[in-house]
Amino acid sequence: MTVHGPNGATWWMRRSKNNVIAGAQQCCALPGMTMTLPAKLQEIVDDIASMSREEKLETLIAFAETMPDLPERFQEERSKMESVPECMTPVFIIAEKDANGGIVFHLDIPKQSPTVRGLASILTNGLNGCTLEQILSVPADFYLPMNLQEAVSQQRINGFIGVLAHMKQAAVKVSQ
Amino acid sequence: MSYAHPDYLVETEWVAQHLSDPEIRIVESDEDPLLYAIGHIPGAAQVDWFTTLQHPLRRDFVTRDQFEEVASKLGITNDTTVVFYGDKSNWFACYALWLFQYYGHQKVKIMNGGRTKWEQEKRELVKDVPAFKPTTYKAKEADKSIRAFRDDVFKSLEAKKPLVDVRSPKEYSGELTHMPNYPQEGATRGGHIPGAVSIPWAQAVNEADSTFKTAEELKALYEGKNIKSDGEIIAYCRIGERSSLTWFVLKYLLGYPTVKNYDGSWTEWGNLVDAPIEK
Repeated sequence: MTVHGPNGATWWMRRSKNNVIAGAQQCCALPGMTMTLPAKLQEIVDDIASMSREEKLETLIAFAETMPDLPERFQEERSKMESVPECMTPVFIIAEKDANGGIVFHLDIPKQSPTVRGLASILTNGLNGCTLEQILSVPADFYLPMNLQEAVSQQRINGFIGVLAHMKQAAVKVSQ
Repeated sequence: MSYAHPDYLVETEWVAQHLSDPEIRIVESDEDPLLYAIGHIPGAAQVDWFTTLQHPLRRDFVTRDQFEEVASKLGITNDTTVVFYGDKSNWFACYALWLFQYYGHQKVKIMNGGRTKWEQEKRELVKDVPAFKPTTYKAKEADKSIRAFRDDVFKSLEAKKPLVDVRSPKEYSGELTHMPNYPQEGATRGGHIPGAVSIPWAQAVNEADSTFKTAEELKALYEGKNIKSDGEIIAYCRIGERSSLTWFVLKYLLGYPTVKNYDGSWTEWGNLVDAPIEK
């Protein structure tokens, strides 16, 4: 499949061995779950869901390595952020509106933390350009069908959900 | 003053000169498991604290049999010297070393400064994953003298033996039950084990290059908080990774004879019914 980056950039990701067509797999793997995710996020979730553990790790690396640097215009705000020495990974999130009124997120995460970068990049790729309503409607457990637990620790996934929560807050702020 | 057991620590230059030494296996153990894939020391193997070293079902480490399999796959024999290094000032390198010692592997070392220093010195990192010929590895009975379980902590508490809380000041005070940016990770109650002294792990390492502080500095740091070599010490953090580093410092750099790591740590104690907490 091809994943669309924030600036229209694309990259190719390995198709899973069982060759599930992206988007064709329903995301209702867990009983009682119904989800209406933004289309791009749904596509990523479906694709990762169909991958082996090794493919998931490769995909996370691809997402981490293709995460764009924080645009120059935000550098000043970034430097004003307090650094937290005990913190595992400092994550900086800022949202802005694009020309169509969609919300675009910019994240700054150290390159020494590829897992956090990879997970956060799933969110920016899946949500950039979405409306505030679409972003707020993403449930905190949307990640379950991806079965990331087999590749990364629960602590990591909790961090990932924390990033989503902060992105929602940033989206609300930019919409006020 | 030198470190009590300097054999347990090697410098990056030493590692660079032993890359193809058949007696030595270099093992990367990171907080971020994808770092190894992005680039590692030539010939180094990887263990992941979560997927390699944890029991797949219970909250525990791999069993003795499973550990033998892990060592065998990494081409480690009972005589191999295993040198650990990793990110975040070697937290998980110390954690892996501690687990190897738990199953009786005596020839272990930490590479001072870990990934940070190796990268700072612009030393080579490669993506090739080495293949190892499986070995026949025999692990020993788990060495519980270096691991504290909750009952050991209760006993220490009653006997007023020294407990070291190595978390950040806000976790110790109870303001946070998790590390910043890691919400929901952890415990329903904040605070610390009554009587535990706060000595954040980071005070034992130099911020600039992640190397350990000098023996004099470490002695002053721990003795200054009344953590002395004659005590039966238990160190804890949130899941036991940061306290593995403190355990390594106390046991091998300062040479304290009786130090245990409480890997249940705050994610167990802060959730345990009827466990006393101080704030």
